[in-house]
Parts: sequence; C-alpha cells; structure tokens
Amino acid sequence: MSIRNTKIQDVNLFEFADFDELQSEHIAAPRYSYWKSVWRTFFKNKFTVAVAALLLIIIIFALIQPMYSGYSPILTPNINNAEMKFLKPSAEHIFGTDHVGNEVFDAVWAGARNSIIISFVCTFINMIVGIPIGALWGFSKKMDKWMIEVYNIVSNIPFLLLAMILSYVLGAGMKSLIITMTCTEWIFVAYFIRTQVMIIRDREYNMASKCLGTRTWTMIVKNILPYLISVIMTYVSRQIPSLISYEVFLSYMGLGLGTTNASLGRTISLYTSYMNGYPHLFWIPVGVLALISISLYIVGQKLADAADPRTHI
Amino acid sequence: MSVDNKDREVILSIRHVDISFDTGHKKKLVAVKDATFDIYKGETFALVGESGSGKTTLGRAILRINPCSAGEILFEGKRISGKISREEDRNVVRSIQMIFQDPAASLNERATIEYCVSEGLYNFHLYKDERDRIAKVDKALQDVGLLPEHKSRYPHEFSGGQRQRVGIARAMIMDPKFIVADEPISALDVSIRAQVLNLMNKLKAEKNLTYLFIAHDLSVVRFIADRIAVIHLGEIVEIADSETLFKFPIHPYTVSLLSTVPMPDPIVERTRRHIVYDPSRLDQSGAPRTMREIRPGHFVLATDKEYVGYEERIAGMEAKLLK
Repeated sequence: MSIRNTKIQDVNLFEFADFDELQSEHIAAPRYSYWKSVWRTFFKNKFTVAVAALLLIIIIFALIQPMYSGYSPILTPNINNAEMKFLKPSAEHIFGTDHVGNEVFDAVWAGARNSIIISFVCTFINMIVGIPIGALWGFSKKMDKWMIEVYNIVSNIPFLLLAMILSYVLGAGMKSLIITMTCTEWIFVAYFIRTQVMIIRDREYNMASKCLGTRTWTMIVKNILPYLISVIMTYVSRQIPSLISYEVFLSYMGLGLGTTNASLGRTISLYTSYMNGYPHLFWIPVGVLALISISLYIVGQKLADAADPRTHI
Repeated sequence: MSVDNKDREVILSIRHVDISFDTGHKKKLVAVKDATFDIYKGETFALVGESGSGKTTLGRAILRINPCSAGEILFEGKRISGKISREEDRNVVRSIQMIFQDPAASLNERATIEYCVSEGLYNFHLYKDERDRIAKVDKALQDVGLLPEHKSRYPHEFSGGQRQRVGIARAMIMDPKFIVADEPISALDVSIRAQVLNLMNKLKAEKNLTYLFIAHDLSVVRFIADRIAVIHLGEIVEIADSETLFKFPIHPYTVSLLSTVPMPDPIVERTRRHIVYDPSRLDQSGAPRTMREIRPGHFVLATDKEYVGYEERIAGMEAKLLK
C-alpha cells in the first residue's frame, strides 16, 4: 500500500521529455574544410616550416640577386687584375672570387636562378600535359592499347642521345633546354598518372557516378584527381629537384645553356678544374645546389603528406 | 495463387541473358546462365542467392555496367542491352538507379554531400537555377530523414546508416522508375537495417517505384519482397511470390536455403534442421533443364524427370496444408 502511494507521488515529479528524431541526425563536429586542414597539418611541424621558410628565402634571393649584380659569364672586368683572382671567401667577397676575378656569389645565384626557373617551368609543362593525358589514358581501354606502345617507344630513346640531337638542331639556350626536358618527359608523368587512375578507376563510388550519368571528364576532375592530389604532389616534389639535376648534368656535359647564360651546371663544370687548389670554388655551388634540391624535396614531401586526408585527424 | 500476373504491366524483362567474363584463358567465366524473368511495375522483386551466384552481376547488367554476352534486357518494352543510341542510354540512366551495398565505398569521399546528391542533377541539368537545385537537394535530404545543414559536410562525417540514406537520396533525386538495390542493408548495423528498409518502402509508395532487391538474407527478403527469384551458380532455379516460396519451396536448393534462416523463436530454432544441398541427387541424365511453371506464377528449373518429382512433392505439401 505504502509503496503504491510513493509511486503515485513520484510520477508528479517527472514529466515526459520530447523526443526529436531529427536531433539525432545533427553533426556536432566542427565543419571540415580540405584545404584548411592541409595547411593546418603542414604548419603544425616546426621543422617543415623552417625548411619552407629557407626555401622561400633561397628562391626569392635567387630571383632578385642577379638583377642587382648583373652577372653574366661573358663579362670579365677583372680578368687582367691578378689581385682579384682566386680570393678566399671573406666579408668583402662572401663566396670568394674565381679564375677570372668574378664574384662566385654572383655566379652561383645567377646560375641558381636559371636552374630554378628551368626546373619549375619544365615541371609545370610536364604536369599540365601529363596529368590530363594520363587520366584519360587510365580511363580509356582503347587509348591504353596504342598509348602503351607509344610509351614503350619513347621510353626506350636514350635521353642523352635525344638531348644531343636537340641541342644540335635547336642550338643552346633556355628555350631549347626546356624543349629537351619536356618533349619526352611528359609521357612518364602520364604513365604514372595512368597507373594511379587505373587503381581507383573501378572503385564503387566511380561506378555510382557512372550510374548517375557522369561523363568521363567530370569523373576525372571530381572523383579521380582529388584523390590523387597527395600522390601528384609527391611526384612534383621529386620531379623539380631531379630536373634541376638534369639541367646541371646537361650543362656540365656542354648540352645545356650556352656560354652566355649563367647556370649552376656550367658553373660547377667550370670550377671543377680548380678543385684541388681552390676547393671552395667547387664546393660552394655544389652546396647551394644540394640545399635547393633537398629543401624542395622536403617541402614537397611534407606538403604531399599534409594533402593526404588520413593525416588530418 | 491469388495474384494473376498476366494482367500486370511488365516494367523490366530479362530474356535468356548470359553474362560471361574474359578470364585470360580460353575458357570464359560464365557468371549468369540463361536468366529469364519479368519484373512488374510497382513490385519489389528480390534476387536471392549465395555469394558468387551472379546476383550482383545480373543487377549491374541492368544498369549497363556489365555487358550481356547473350539474350536481351527490355525496359518498358525497349531493348537496353547491347549497343543502344546515346539518347536511349541517357534515358535508361535517368530511369534506372542503383543503391549500393557499401555506403562507405560508394560515396566520393572528397566531395561534399551537396555535390554527391546533386551529381545527377548536374549531369542531366534537372534544375532551373541554383536556387532550384539547392531546394531539390534539401528536399531529397529531408525525404530520407537527413537535415539540409548536412549539405556542406563530407561523407566521412556520417554514420553508416546516414551514408546509405545519402546514397538513397542521390538515387531518388533523379526521379527514377526502377531501382536496383544491391544488398542495401548488408553493410549496415542491425539496429538501423529496419530504418533503411522502412525508408525504402515509404519512398516506393510515395514515388511509385519498382525495386529489384538483391540480397542473401532471406529474413529480410521475406519482409520486403513481393516476388523472389532464387539464383544458384548463375542459374535461376526458382521464381515465386514470396508467400508461395516460403510455403512451397520446390527446388532442393531453395529448400536448403530456407532451412538456413534462423528463427527468432528459441523453441522452433532448437528443432530447426539445416538441410544440406546435394546437387548429386538431381537428375544426372544430362537432360536439358528448363524453367517450368509448376503452379501459376511459380516457376522452377527442372528436367522432365525432376519435374514429375517436384509435381508430386508440391501436391503432397498442398494436401498436407489442406488437412
């Protein structure tokens, strides 16, 4: 009896709560934005930020310094002044002077400028041509049949032979060097993209898009490429330094820029003969080259990692 | 048989369809052999079979993803298999939509829900202006119990059930007539399966849809399907409306399949016996098997000899039920 009474009294203490079904659908998490998350992940690492800052300084410096120094390998104002030749690095001559009495500092930055411009332009062209062609190549089985043959032929042409022939035909210079480093290189980018596209081409969400009537090109832009941002960035981060090395290599072989243009490769090849007596002449341009390549590579890799949404948690 | 199928309008008709895949060897892999059935307008037709039986392959052939190597598929009387004009292809894409099995894999992870849902609208330009498109997306999301504020979210922020409902919304926004639902609930948590099934039934009634429901779970099929086809190793062995199939299973494979359904009643469950399907007990004479109508609307794959046996069995079962 007493129990029943308490129960009745307690009922008055409670009231029915409303149940809103839509409330359970609400997502409380903050809004996700892909690019914001990419930058946040990228800037979280102090080391990466330091390397990126260093790289930025080097690039800006390489682009601006030659404008003020006006360095050109054919200008040798101090060639008859023996006191100005082969000076060691000092406060006055930061990187020292070379065999014709020119500032090594000016020569290195003028060379770096050309090397950086060439590698960036070549990478840009290779990506712009290679990515769309590779994406279509990966999608179309018909295109794959003949493109793979084209790839087999092109990839079997020795690069040095091609570079030699082109430098004979087109002459030395920035333009011909860019043509040499893009005319076949894009197909390797395309082949790489083709393989990546083939991996995710038949995933269910692409089939779903197909069922909704999405055209191939829209599918490439909306479904495929966003997934490949990280992979493409990795590729770019390897391509830029490797093209700088190519430029250096070709210039070293005498196939790159002509004698009138400064280039890291030409500078290094010129100074190699003084390596025993004046090692700084050789090691300074090589060191600058290494610094540019490595920092480009590190920044590229970290950016590629940050572009992978799995790192966004 | 209470329903007379003769008077009903056929929406999709599958005629002697074979689907095979190149394996790289001389021998081709035949995934579906001589499939023939009709799906009537407004019904839910279930295709049931074990994994690897070819049920998904057949579903995808309807969507023109897998080509048929023989036979033809008719939609509203028009052939949609093989080479068809671009215009007809676009029409088929609009009218036939699919709900996928894995809600995690079937949404583009790098696109917002807004893009996922309006993808079809973009492709067919089914909207007057931006505002109309947004309104349509909002409506589609609300129809499946989601909120308009979800538009700017990404698929990975949703639960499995919510994602599957996004998948349903994206199919429904196209105003399709026919939907192929490829195991739409088998990747979902048990607690939300009923929610998705009820949603599908609600939308079916509202939009006058026809479903081809592909499943391996018979307890689900019994709940949702009007008619059931049982497929085994690429061959359809039995077709009947679901009441009949559960009451009078004829083909030994169907019998075996039904015996695997767990019962929610512990007393019945204790006495349930799993009948193992033994194909060696079928007619081994090599006589051709054809689809035969053993009772009106109830088809079974049989040779002449088997048919006699099946006829006896079904008569026996009917007599038992009458007693």
